Amino acid sequence: MPRRILRVNMSNLEAKFEDLPEEYTVLGGRGLTSTIIAKEVPPDCHPLGPSNKLVFAPGLVTGTRAPSCGRISVGGKSPLTGGIKEANAGTNFAHALAKLRIAAIIVEGQPEGDDYYLLKINKDGSEFINANKWVGKGLYGAYKEILKEFGDQNKISGVGITAEIGGTMSGVSFSDPEGMPSRYAGRGGLGAVMAKRGLKFILADDTDAPGVEIANQDVFSAGVKKLVNALATHDVTKPGGALSSFGTAVLVNIINEAGGLPQRNFSAGSDDRSANVSGESKAEMISNRGGVRPHACNTGCVIRCSEVWTKPKAKDPVGVLEYESVWSLGPNCGIYNLDDVGELNRACNDLGLDTIEAGNTLAVAMEGGLANWGDGKGALKLLEEIRKKSALGRIIANGTEFTGRALGVWRVPTVKGQALPAYDPRPIKGIGVTYATTPMGADHTAGYAIATEIMGVGGQADPADTNKAELSRNLQLATAAVDASGYCLFIAFAVLDIPEGLEGVVESINGVYGTNLTVADVAPIGQSIIDTELNFNKAAGFTKADDRLPEFLRTEKVAPTNEVFNVPDEEIDKVWGK
Amino acid sequence: MGKINADAMSIKVKLFGDLKSKIDHENTKTGPPAIITIENTGIERIEDVLEKLSIEQSEVSHIFVNHKYSGYKKTVRSGDTVAFFPVNMSLLYKWYYPKEND
Repeated sequence: MPRRILRVNMSNLEAKFEDLPEEYTVLGGRGLTSTIIAKEVPPDCHPLGPSNKLVFAPGLVTGTRAPSCGRISVGGKSPLTGGIKEANAGTNFAHALAKLRIAAIIVEGQPEGDDYYLLKINKDGSEFINANKWVGKGLYGAYKEILKEFGDQNKISGVGITAEIGGTMSGVSFSDPEGMPSRYAGRGGLGAVMAKRGLKFILADDTDAPGVEIANQDVFSAGVKKLVNALATHDVTKPGGALSSFGTAVLVNIINEAGGLPQRNFSAGSDDRSANVSGESKAEMISNRGGVRPHACNTGCVIRCSEVWTKPKAKDPVGVLEYESVWSLGPNCGIYNLDDVGELNRACNDLGLDTIEAGNTLAVAMEGGLANWGDGKGALKLLEEIRKKSALGRIIANGTEFTGRALGVWRVPTVKGQALPAYDPRPIKGIGVTYATTPMGADHTAGYAIATEIMGVGGQADPADTNKAELSRNLQLATAAVDASGYCLFIAFAVLDIPEGLEGVVESINGVYGTNLTVADVAPIGQSIIDTELNFNKAAGFTKADDRLPEFLRTEKVAPTNEVFNVPDEEIDKVWGK
Repeated sequence: MGKINADAMSIKVKLFGDLKSKIDHENTKTGPPAIITIENTGIERIEDVLEKLSIEQSEVSHIFVNHKYSGYKKTVRSGDTVAFFPVNMSLLYKWYYPKEND
């Protein structure tokens, strides 16, 4: 049985398998979601209306025994940005779809009435079940009940209360290995796209699934071996390395020292108290209170950057507190207490929303006078307004830019309507160019680190070079290709320094599909994906004027570096200029 | 000549992760950074600070002097704050950072 598409029509509650079109054969993850959205969704449609679609696609090697490959991409037209969106997550749900030989789920249509549904998928097919009893309920409780009712062999994707009210900060959640809703394709409000189709949950059960077909076992195995060796020996990704020891929040202290860790709604770039919420401090607290560290967010991950954060005495497990979440809900709100951050992160997971957008929204709300800087309890109260579906809650649920407008705040850190991640673009100008130009709205993962010289897509990257456009473009192309592969972006740290690791990535894909790709093909694959996304955005009405950072980042110096974002517009426009 | 501030004769050094053990063998790599103050006598550059603390260059990844990403040749003066991260914490988007090495 070849890979298939499962088309889910919510207008008539019909789910049908289709053959994978020939041109999609070697597409996966972001490559597949963006291609399908560009082909099937009118760029000028309303993101919450009946013409939008939501696409789930595991990566090209997801479901295999390759290391750290459990990523799933979710795509649609974003209610937050108005452009095309791909958000991805690491979860066993991704492996389950791949093992069921489902290349993509396309969710379309809207049912009449207000009913919500749960879609069960297993080796025998699919089935709709009414999900109204979970409407208005938090996702921690809902996931627990669902696994009890349908069996814990199921992997869950779901949307929460934020999505029910059409909130543009709603994410699509996935179960972690403990069955908690802590893994998120968080960005861009795709949760609301799913909820507006009347779909509340998808359950994937891969019991007795056929598994991923491998065209050439020898090539695949050789590639996997190279990548495993690279990951196991690199200082950042190896067992006992930074990511397994401290998690992604290892970046808190590093970026704070770089003067680029935004404090109190981007009003400063460093604060010594940030060490209280660093990965090193968190690791110590997790060890003392009986949480789990390190932890794999999906089966087969060898990097294991994840964790299970808990209250003291291992109570009320939350799941992982990622770097971006710790920053947005912590220093960016003047909060330097991990227990407060943990409670805020738990509320985000429970309400079904993006932690980056949430923390920025709370910071803007604080600047607008709704709570004091550092007031963790006050911040939690604001998020809980979403649970009440109150008028204030509906404002908060619509994210940073909307909340800024509602409160008359002009220092609003967004690009294309999406809030900035945890790197201030004033001292870190290269990432500012990526925030400005990625088709996704401000997104740190869009230009993650893969060596341009290794990829061979732009020659040597001199850090002192002011040619930020070429740097940003090359990083974005490489990232788009990784997002299509199903591999976690964090393999980049190893394959960056160990060329055999990158060869292993390409060879593992060749092994699965019987292709003859080389490292030189990586950049063109990324370019093809980005071109598709840029064309969609252009047709949706985006222009160069949308590729700009907000005024305050261009005019307001940030301590301690006293930098402004001063990359000229002409340089920014070179990124996608022909 | 004005009065010399005693604090201005020293350099603040922050050691992160595994490097904490360089000044305190009981210290674990988790928890907040170790922060010490060293006299600036005989210290001109980052490489001198490392030598004084018996830290090999190969053990260090990111170096910051007063929040500026720096190299081993970077000059350090009284009153500066220097931060050292171990090799396994080399997580920066390294191309985004110009390294100062005056």
